[in-house]
Amino acid sequence: MSTDTLTIRPDRPGRTGRSARSARRAELAREHARRRDLVLGGGRGPRIAALTALVVLTVLWLTPMLWGLATSFKAESDAISLPLTLFPESGFTLEQYSSLFAASNVQMWMFNSLLIAALVTVFTLAVAAPAAFAMSRMAFRGRAALMIVTVAAIVVPPQLLIVPLFQQMVSLNLVDTYPAVILPQLVAPIIVFILKRFFDAVPKELDEAARMDGASYWKLFTSVILPLSRPILAAAAIFVFISAWNNYLWPFIVTTDPALMTLPVGIPNILDSYGTFYASQLAASMIAAAPMIIVFMLFQRQIVSSVATTGITGQ
Amino acid sequence: MSAPTDTTPATPGTRADSRAPQPRPGPALRLWRRVPDSPLSFLLPFLLVYALFLFWPLLSGLWMSFTDTALNGAGGTFVGPDNYTEALGDPLVWKTLGNTVLFTVVTTVPLVVVALAMAVLVHTGMPGQWLWRLSFFMPFLLPVATVALVWQFLYVDDFGLFNQVLRAFGMEGLGWLNDDGVALWSVALTTVWWTVGFNFLLYLAALQSIPDHLYEAAALDGAGAWARLWYVTVPQLRGITVVVVLLQVLASMKVFDQIYLMTGGGPGDSSRSLLLYIYDVGFTGYRFGFGAAVSYLFLAIVLVVAAVQLWITTRRKA
Amino acid sequence: MSPHPSPPIPPSAGSGPPTGAVSPPTRRQMLLGAGALALGASALGCAPGSAADTSEVRFWSLFQGGDGARLETMLDAVRDQAPHLRVTPSTLAWGPPYYTKLAMASVGGRAPETAVMHMSRLPGYAPGGLLDPFDLDLLAEFGVTAEDFVPDLWERGIHDGSTYAIPLDTHPVVLFYDTGMADRAGLLDTDGKLRALDSPEEFLEASRAIAEVSGGSGITYGHVNDDSQGWRIFWKLYNQTGAELKLPQGGPAELDRDEALRVFSFLAELMDGQTSENDLTYQSALAGFSSGRAGMLVCGEWELPYLLDNVENLGAAPFPTVFEYPGSYADSHAFVLPRQNDPDPERVRAAHEFVALMVRNSLTWGEAGHIPAYSPVMESAEYQALTPQSDYASAGETPVLDPEVWFAGAGSQFHSSVSESLRTAVSGEGPEAAVEQLARSLDSWAARINPSEGVS
Repeated sequence: MSTDTLTIRPDRPGRTGRSARSARRAELAREHARRRDLVLGGGRGPRIAALTALVVLTVLWLTPMLWGLATSFKAESDAISLPLTLFPESGFTLEQYSSLFAASNVQMWMFNSLLIAALVTVFTLAVAAPAAFAMSRMAFRGRAALMIVTVAAIVVPPQLLIVPLFQQMVSLNLVDTYPAVILPQLVAPIIVFILKRFFDAVPKELDEAARMDGASYWKLFTSVILPLSRPILAAAAIFVFISAWNNYLWPFIVTTDPALMTLPVGIPNILDSYGTFYASQLAASMIAAAPMIIVFMLFQRQIVSSVATTGITGQ
Repeated sequence: MSAPTDTTPATPGTRADSRAPQPRPGPALRLWRRVPDSPLSFLLPFLLVYALFLFWPLLSGLWMSFTDTALNGAGGTFVGPDNYTEALGDPLVWKTLGNTVLFTVVTTVPLVVVALAMAVLVHTGMPGQWLWRLSFFMPFLLPVATVALVWQFLYVDDFGLFNQVLRAFGMEGLGWLNDDGVALWSVALTTVWWTVGFNFLLYLAALQSIPDHLYEAAALDGAGAWARLWYVTVPQLRGITVVVVLLQVLASMKVFDQIYLMTGGGPGDSSRSLLLYIYDVGFTGYRFGFGAAVSYLFLAIVLVVAAVQLWITTRRKA
Repeated sequence: MSPHPSPPIPPSAGSGPPTGAVSPPTRRQMLLGAGALALGASALGCAPGSAADTSEVRFWSLFQGGDGARLETMLDAVRDQAPHLRVTPSTLAWGPPYYTKLAMASVGGRAPETAVMHMSRLPGYAPGGLLDPFDLDLLAEFGVTAEDFVPDLWERGIHDGSTYAIPLDTHPVVLFYDTGMADRAGLLDTDGKLRALDSPEEFLEASRAIAEVSGGSGITYGHVNDDSQGWRIFWKLYNQTGAELKLPQGGPAELDRDEALRVFSFLAELMDGQTSENDLTYQSALAGFSSGRAGMLVCGEWELPYLLDNVENLGAAPFPTVFEYPGSYADSHAFVLPRQNDPDPERVRAAHEFVALMVRNSLTWGEAGHIPAYSPVMESAEYQALTPQSDYASAGETPVLDPEVWFAGAGSQFHSSVSESLRTAVSGEGPEAAVEQLARSLDSWAARINPSEGVS
């Protein structure tokens, strides 16, 4: 089994510890070297070509963000002066950031984003996991129909429901509240489907043994299935969290009070103004981007495998 | 293995040989053991959430599409199929649908091809894996606000980076976001940069499931790097490519965020997508009934695309 | 391609922990549920509350940049004068998004107590029940009455006999120029002010002259990807020809096509792509002028603070009478009371006091470039002493406001659809096609039913 596999396997014990980590790193390096030989053969030409292509693509892909980052540290006049230079005449400055933190809602939006994404993640899993378990393990009338409806629901883009959903929120008197932002985002049939698929693959002998011992379904669910499903639950959680953190359309529709906006909704709302304040806009963009980039740098492996798994199983 | 050890010792009295008659639990325990153990107890939150926030809006929206309901609650009179006939005769519905299709095509092709190229290159195991993955995938994690602002700055006519580079090479600058022949393409370019990482990961996962022995066999046959790519790697990726293309088509059709933020649909309506038009007529124009009708027409198109998707996948498997 | 979990170790392998036990996870689960509920409840609790001895006034504005800074100064003054008001300002992106948000907030029932709205948008809001009327007695109690305003402006705030909007200013589109370049181009009179450019020929000649001096562009105007600019300049010039536009409910619109053609032909000649670019966005026109690549800019006076910061020798003049009659496109920022589900009398009172105080403190607003609507301020010596404000203050005497129909006004969809014609005229199929396009657009708008009134 490849060690930097992208898809989710059941939990493996003993992954922490410094020595384990450095051993893993060495193992990875060996694995990559082996793959180089396998995929490219032994010649130098293909290796140079592959590396060159990688470097070119990487430069292309990093340039936009780095250019934005550099500009966010410039004074406004340097940001729009010609000819363009990476290093501004009056030097780099933190003024854009300090003024943003001094007088804007950025911190509040960051808090909202965090709270909303966390609640959406917790509740989505709390709704989806028991349902997926029932569909996977329990016999009841209408099970097949329920499965079909769940799969069909995957196809319905929630974006097309903004008009009736907003009206519903008006009649529930929920517009401009956290529940209005959160509740419709809990509809994630894809997560139900992914979890059900995973539960299906857990051998039935396990629950039969437990049932024989007189365990209830809830017992089976909480002490057998859920612990075994930790990797897929983590993957689903990461996936839901990223989607909720970056969700734009619905929070944009249902919040009008800036005190309730999330980062993606708030940032353009306050900065899309007449007048040219590029450096300040870019500083705000960098602040909005920072949390996810930091989290990604820390948990690259987990995030990568979460996205790959949920993305593929989504089929 | 932590699963079993998580269960703390059982409550006295329930720890019994399962075949032996069990002692009666206390009332609270009985409640817990009896009531919730039905399928309904597992399904209740799910059924509630989906009934309230999926099926109810689906139905109320359908009803609304046959009325003249307005944002402020005015109207609400049944008007029959008027909204639908108006939508079908509305040139802007067709124009924005055309934009949506064009956007879908011009994003899906590079989003598949570039992602494939990136994955194949990273899969070669060249040193710097962490950096490659970070550069290609990181944009996917950026909030749309950041993406839009950074790219708007790159696209500015005079001091934008892109036009400055073009002019440095002696070419004319482009009206990236303000030329109606270019704006949609510019947003598409941004979208490719932003979301290619997702497809890249799907491809990378697929590549890693290619068994080693295929490469070993090719090596024995004396195949070089190119031959291995064409005869081993690419054929193994057919299945995932179907998946990626179909996911991408459905995702691209629903474009709203980056268009709304970067061009607002302009210049004119040249980059307005159908979803943006629904927002415009429904919210900005107050016409909920008409907005709902256009939404349902769009939903019908999505369902057709999904049906085609299902047909292709099942036919492939058969 | 689903994950296939390899067979896990059975939970009761060997003599492991007993199964069939009533599981503690249940309690953990309940705790988790309770915790989540508590979190949710506390989230709800974050909604704006009110302290006992102060009244909160949430206030939405669309003022940013220099305007935003002046607004802050005014808010500080209000806070000093009325410490019992707890003012929570929110600045939102100006344009169609602002008005969409405002309508959605009113409908949602948790709208701010007060907001800024362009006077021209009132016909789309007051009749639809999206606004609450002002209590004039309450306003008078705080020292503001109808007599303090220019009657024409005040009248625009009345719908069905109730007053829905209290004007703060008039803000016309004016002509900014670099005094140094204008001087070298021979465009200044003996006082050092821009001389009158009172015919299409003189205006175009001035543009060519200043282009030569700037080495870049002449008189520029940004309009691409903008929701209003195309309409603003057309409507002003169309009014200068003396022509009328009628938009009867149900249509068709009555547009004087000959005069409209004269306007578009003039604009196409001005923005010919040679002397002046024909494809500038609002921002790039502004940036081009402030960095000296263009010598003159047609733009709203609301950019004055930005331009004062960025242009060393800034001059300003009313937009010249290019055609037969004087006229400057203008609008008015006004205060409104978005509809509340459960109006709290204390907050309503506080909102009235806030609006009255803002209007009375509008001298600061004049410094931002706008012409105060409140006569006691406008007629004050302090305001009259401001420059270059006084150079274009006369533009406020001949304001050209939008037609008074439900679909018109700043940041409306009407603006963005009729604004398109300018692009057709200057960089598309030409002036004739632009007139056709405009006429079609006007017809279709006149034919529409006001959705917020429903079909009766």
